[in-house]
Amino acid sequence: MRTLRRTLRLRTARTALPVLAAVALLALFGGALAPQDPLAQDTAQLLHAPGGAHLLGTDYLGRDVLSRLLAGTGDSVAGAVEAVVAAMLLGIVPGIASLWLGRVFEWVSLRAVDALMTLPFTLFAIAAVGVFGNGLHQAMLALGVLLSPLFFRVTRAAALGFTQAQYVQAAELMGASRRWILRTHLWSKILPTVAVTTAHALATALLTVTSLTFLGVGVQPPAPTWGGMLASDLGFLAQQPWAPILPATLIMLTVGALNLLADAVRDAGAAGTEPARARTAAPAPAGRPHRAGPTEQPAPKEQADAPLPA
Amino acid sequence: MNAPISTRSALARRSFLGLALGTAATLALAACGSGAPVTAGGAAGGTVKWGWALPTSWDPVFSSAGWDVHDLSLVYAGLTKLDEKGDAVPALATGWTYSPDGTTVTFKLRTGLSFSDGTALDAAAVKKSLDRGRGDAKSLVAPQLVHIKEIAAPDPQTVVLTLTQADYQIPNLLAGKTGMIVSPKAFEEDAAGLASRPVGAGPFTLSSYTQNAKAVLKRNPGYWDASSIKLDNFEIYPLPDASTVVAALQSGQYNVAQIPGSQVAAAKAAGLEVQVIPSLVVAVLDINPTKAPFDNPLVVQALKYAIDREALLKTQQFGFGDVSYQPFPKGYVGYDAGSADLFPHDPAKAKELLAQAGHPDGVELTITTTSAQGLPEQLQAQLKEVGIKTTIEVIPAAQATQIIYIQHSRALFTDQFAGRDSAPQAFQVLFGEQGLMNPGRSTPPELKAAVDLVSRTPLDSPDYPKNLQAATALAVRTMPNTFLYSVPRILARQKTVSAIPPYTVVQRFEGVTAP
Repeated sequence: MRTLRRTLRLRTARTALPVLAAVALLALFGGALAPQDPLAQDTAQLLHAPGGAHLLGTDYLGRDVLSRLLAGTGDSVAGAVEAVVAAMLLGIVPGIASLWLGRVFEWVSLRAVDALMTLPFTLFAIAAVGVFGNGLHQAMLALGVLLSPLFFRVTRAAALGFTQAQYVQAAELMGASRRWILRTHLWSKILPTVAVTTAHALATALLTVTSLTFLGVGVQPPAPTWGGMLASDLGFLAQQPWAPILPATLIMLTVGALNLLADAVRDAGAAGTEPARARTAAPAPAGRPHRAGPTEQPAPKEQADAPLPA
Repeated sequence: MNAPISTRSALARRSFLGLALGTAATLALAACGSGAPVTAGGAAGGTVKWGWALPTSWDPVFSSAGWDVHDLSLVYAGLTKLDEKGDAVPALATGWTYSPDGTTVTFKLRTGLSFSDGTALDAAAVKKSLDRGRGDAKSLVAPQLVHIKEIAAPDPQTVVLTLTQADYQIPNLLAGKTGMIVSPKAFEEDAAGLASRPVGAGPFTLSSYTQNAKAVLKRNPGYWDASSIKLDNFEIYPLPDASTVVAALQSGQYNVAQIPGSQVAAAKAAGLEVQVIPSLVVAVLDINPTKAPFDNPLVVQALKYAIDREALLKTQQFGFGDVSYQPFPKGYVGYDAGSADLFPHDPAKAKELLAQAGHPDGVELTITTTSAQGLPEQLQAQLKEVGIKTTIEVIPAAQATQIIYIQHSRALFTDQFAGRDSAPQAFQVLFGEQGLMNPGRSTPPELKAAVDLVSRTPLDSPDYPKNLQAATALAVRTMPNTFLYSVPRILARQKTVSAIPPYTVVQRFEGVTAP
């Protein structure tokens, strides 16, 4: 909560959040807000310029562009959210579990994660669609699998530092259950890190969804999506050179806002988390009895687990 | 210098970076539709750079797309070729004579002909090449050659074709892929190699070929009509992207290219010459009458009345071409004027037919296509109005031949028919029992008889147009294939390239000059 309050104080966050709130509203109610049926064709009004009955003009089948942009938000955003939720489930749970479930699980899960990180998002999603049939869910779950290493690594790295904090070890010695430690000591501390990762992952997933729909994978015409509209607009640049700007702007604003928010949360959280980590690593202040022991040292082998760039 | 940065400026820089990354990624995405990088400068004199399409195979016997004939005609020659109107004229042969009963045709070859590999092109080579097309177990042209019983080469300049029945279409038939003469030395030594290293006796020879990227051809000085070929080099590229084709023509990446109707105005505004050449290409729906709901002929009828072809032509072609209910365009000898307005857009009648077929509450249908955007979307909306609820199934273009032409496993496929050198050959492909575009695999006996009559009628007979048009009229009334509109060949070119001769069937480049 402290991190959240600090975040809200940052100007970048105050810029990003209204944009994201607006996009979320569009995603939920865009179809209802659309002034016209986004699928209604009118061959008498092909590729009309903005104005009159069509505020943003019409497309190559005479459909209202504004209505399609509004109605298309849902699929684009829902796809990204679905992928990130899947990635969180697949990444965070094993990421924390790997701290306790023994060396074999740790080794296997780390190698599996390493292997997954080598695969490119778009190609993997297209392959999944090829195997399981063309649909947004297939593509997004595949993307979720590929994004999960990010959450796995980040959660594990963040949690690893805290499990060696003295107050956690004290709690353990006093007989606290793992669940209690997880809930009381770990979760609230790693939440800001997870939030940063989530915002970055959402931005990545949104771009991937848009790329896939641009290619006609996942959601296909006539259903409107940002990527699909961008793809079809490019075929009519001669008639409407400005048309691709509309979906591209929406994509750009949303992805940009997500990245800004991720930065803001990280900067706000840095003050809260980094000293905590420093406390575990720093030697005890002079003047107090110096208690030497192997548990004092952070395990050097885990340095490779530092958060990865999104 | 790594000066320490204040938190505030670091924040600002990262924020900017975040925004910039988003922007860059979006722009990269927007650029995804652009084609290959633009190559700078022009090549040496006399090169046409044709943005068109690369063939499925350079071997005429195994090429699986009708469209390939345009490319293959650049490297192969046949005994005959088609003139601008589509009539057969002499090529490797100086002429031909039919026996009075029409069951034997004798071709006289030019003297001193040779293949591009240096071997002699004589009657024996012609016989070997045609026999390969007839006899190879996997030949895709064999169905076109069933009327040939025997090929003989009594002397080096004479080829005699004995036929199973009178068939006056042989000179037309041999002008296309079916009759392209391949060097026997090439296919005896390495038949598989022909797919990428063709050896023929055409106007050009293939000097380098990169699949899906580029084919480079050089003038063949040994071509029988080499004096008409003014170009030294010829390059063929895959079909250009609609969004970039005009820019690619301006920059010189191509100097001649096929463009869609949507780009005509832009091409003219860019100072390019645009030619709209009537062609035999027609947009058609391949209907499988053995698959529900088309197992009821009334549903097929309803479909034909439900489609608003004028609207399709306007949006898909920007009005270039004509609404069509038959395989031949206006002006072609097989065009049946009586079928000019056969299935006008009539939603009420379509609904009535559906009700008669036992579907008063509508029917469900899958539109199979290789790209959902455009025609399938529009068909979906039009069919919805009469109560046909459709889903669009997209199959990869690379698998379309297998799924549609070999397995015949789909009820409706959005297709284009590229036309054929001879009218009965077109009937065979569209309506024949073995026809690629006849997924139902059956032909009514009266249509078979009508097509047979066309084959038996000499082309110069006054009965020929009448018989051919009667066959057309019968086919479009009895077969489920749903024709939509004709697709002219729209070529845009730089002003430095001379006009492209308007060949209806196969594009040829005799007399064309380029810088």
